[in-house]
Amino acid sequence: MMSDLDYAISQLRACKPIPEPAVRELCYKARELLIEESNVQIVDAPVTICGDIHGQFHDLMELFRVGGDVPETNYLFMGDFVDRGFYSLESFLLLLCLKVRYPDRITLIRGNHESRQITTVYGFYDECLRKYGSANVWRHCCEVFDYLALGALVVGAGSSISDTDEIEVEVVGQFGEVISRMKRPEPSTTATAIGGPPGSGASGSAAGTKGVNNGAVLCVHGGLSPLVDSVDKIRLLDRKQEVPHEGAMCDLLWSDPDEIDGWGLSPRGAGFLFGADIVKHFNHINNLSLIARAHQLVMEGFKEMFDSSIVTVWSAPNYCYRCGNVAAILELGEERSGAGVPWSATDRTTVVRPGPGRRYRVFEAAPQDSRGMPAKKPVADYFL
Amino acid sequence: MSSTPLRFPGPNRFRSDKEKDQTPEAKDRVVQQTDQDASQSRLSAVETGYLVDPFARAFVEGPVQKKLPLINRGTYVRTTAIDQLVTRFLTSTSSRKQIISLGAGSDTRYLRLLTTHRAAAASLLYHEIDFSAVTSRKIRALTRGAPSSPSSPSSLVSELLLSPPTALTDDALASAHYYIHPLDLRTLHPGCALPAGVERGLPTLFISECCLIYLAPQEADAIVRWITTDFSGDVGVVLYEPIGGEDAFGQVMVQNLAARGIVLKTLKKYSSLERQRERLRVLGLVGGQEAADVDFLYECWVGERERGRIGGLEMLDEMEEWRLLARHYCVVWGWRGGFGGWEGAWPVQGGSRV
Ligand SMILES: C[S@@+](CC[C@H](N)C(=O)[O-])C[C@H]1O[C@@H](n2cnc3c(N)ncnc32)[C@H](O)[C@@H]1O
Repeated sequence: MMSDLDYAISQLRACKPIPEPAVRELCYKARELLIEESNVQIVDAPVTICGDIHGQFHDLMELFRVGGDVPETNYLFMGDFVDRGFYSLESFLLLLCLKVRYPDRITLIRGNHESRQITTVYGFYDECLRKYGSANVWRHCCEVFDYLALGALVVGAGSSISDTDEIEVEVVGQFGEVISRMKRPEPSTTATAIGGPPGSGASGSAAGTKGVNNGAVLCVHGGLSPLVDSVDKIRLLDRKQEVPHEGAMCDLLWSDPDEIDGWGLSPRGAGFLFGADIVKHFNHINNLSLIARAHQLVMEGFKEMFDSSIVTVWSAPNYCYRCGNVAAILELGEERSGAGVPWSATDRTTVVRPGPGRRYRVFEAAPQDSRGMPAKKPVADYFL
Repeated sequence: MSSTPLRFPGPNRFRSDKEKDQTPEAKDRVVQQTDQDASQSRLSAVETGYLVDPFARAFVEGPVQKKLPLINRGTYVRTTAIDQLVTRFLTSTSSRKQIISLGAGSDTRYLRLLTTHRAAAASLLYHEIDFSAVTSRKIRALTRGAPSSPSSPSSLVSELLLSPPTALTDDALASAHYYIHPLDLRTLHPGCALPAGVERGLPTLFISECCLIYLAPQEADAIVRWITTDFSGDVGVVLYEPIGGEDAFGQVMVQNLAARGIVLKTLKKYSSLERQRERLRVLGLVGGQEAADVDFLYECWVGERERGRIGGLEMLDEMEEWRLLARHYCVVWGWRGGFGGWEGAWPVQGGSRV
């Protein structure tokens, strides 16, 4: 006998909405689960980190094909499940079902679109109304949004993604083909690239860091806040509310890294811009080796910045059926016992902590009319 | 980025057969329908507070389609940038002048000028050209009784125009100041008969707001040549159109529009700001040529306070998406003679960013 939950999962995997009472039940269970999570969930490596999804259901299926299925692969989604795409409802509810079914194999954190105000402008509200004839389902989902964690801390990530070599960064295409690979440099030597430098435009940009890793990876949708100088401060926030217009919680979901010194005003009208100095200092005092965040469209799917102290991961290929970008997910492996280059005394004085081994899997939009699922695309708007 | 092996989309992914199966008439109908896209976008920008345009509603058939914030912002930039060029031309001297709007569609620019620059409009001769199918829709809207007072027979024509129509048919209008011509632009080339009422000696501004892009390169070029050879006074041209068809965004745009049967025929030939400027120079707008993309226009032509107002109307959720979209559309302007005080009047952009 199939449980209700497994039935819902099979429905949603076929991109079919589930009945309103089932949504209510699911959201209730999800809230019970999420309320127990702290603002910054601790997640053990190995884990696959994903950026914005935005209701592109077929591309989410492609992501699972490329990255492995739940529960075999441990996933961390950094928010923006809904809005813009045509299947926000199916995408979010499927992720939520998987969360309830396999709570230890999938972590969901909140994005700036998981908000009542933004979803009424950017499509999720209209989609719920269209699919159910009332706003009840939207309301249930918004209540879940309020319980989503604000961030996650990945611990125990290995310094290499390979068993045999000290590979720090690997970029892999959607069929598993290696596009580029970069060895972790010996403390005194410079980076060696195999098969083309990962920093070259085609495969996103990544640059290596030195030494063995032991810092954690902070995952958050947007970025840092001038009101938050430590991960502990995030833990103290009262998150169970609509995303406020300003303040620490708003900044974590809205801010962006930028080539500036210190803090700057954000052109988005919420959150801040923050520079390399801010990131490096934050990582240093919080014992972090990397910040992984989403929130910004990157044509190549991912982009490392500031000496690989922060990375943007974007998981919605051909965003809005219009942008022509590829998507990426970030795999962090497990630390192998006794592996790694010792972190030399001189390195200890540098501000940049060596990053974990990182494998970026890059993928394109799902083929049209694939898998026999409805693949109706909204007409992408242009200026005509 | 053009060298990326991961470039989206894969070959032939969304290739549509729609276009090549269609008759010429069906293809023209698709182009004519783009007018409703443009006027829907205009109405959405008006209703959301970006633009003030009391006439936008009158030309939209059916309910208002609310557009995304970035589309509203783009519509705002396009409209206000062209307005600036037009206003400068209109107010540069008090002598008689002429504006010819190519593929004017349901554009409300003339009606807006009549309310904002009524005095200057007295010395202006304004022509609009579009397919008969489009001009007849416009004439219907212009002559319809005002919805606000259904009892009175007043219409936009009787209320607003500076002079009563001397001829008014289903698809054409003539008056001392304003003409609507049901005309296929592909009939315009050097030496062709001038549309009724067009004066070849007046300083004349030509506007193509998302229009010449739908014509084959040689047809579009013939029109600009017609402008620079058959008109003897100062002439100026303003184009608004997409650029950058070769990158990933551009390829998806081409394919998405092809799925609707829309072909951007000059996109390849005039794919950058440089090529657009060169286009106007080669075709005889030798006084000067300038071009700027919509991202630049927003940052540099819209004042800081106005940008604050615009930013406050709707929150843009994705700046990269806006920049990407906005860098794929541009305004190009060129002139011959000491035209309209355009030279050096606005910040100009260097090269394309797509
Ligand atoms: C996208 S609409 C733009 C309308 C208007 N300029 C605006 O910006 O609101 C393009 C217009 O160009 C007109 N057009 C395209 N090709 C034409 C042709 N060969 N002859 C006349 N009009 C044409 C279409 O009918 C349509 O109204």
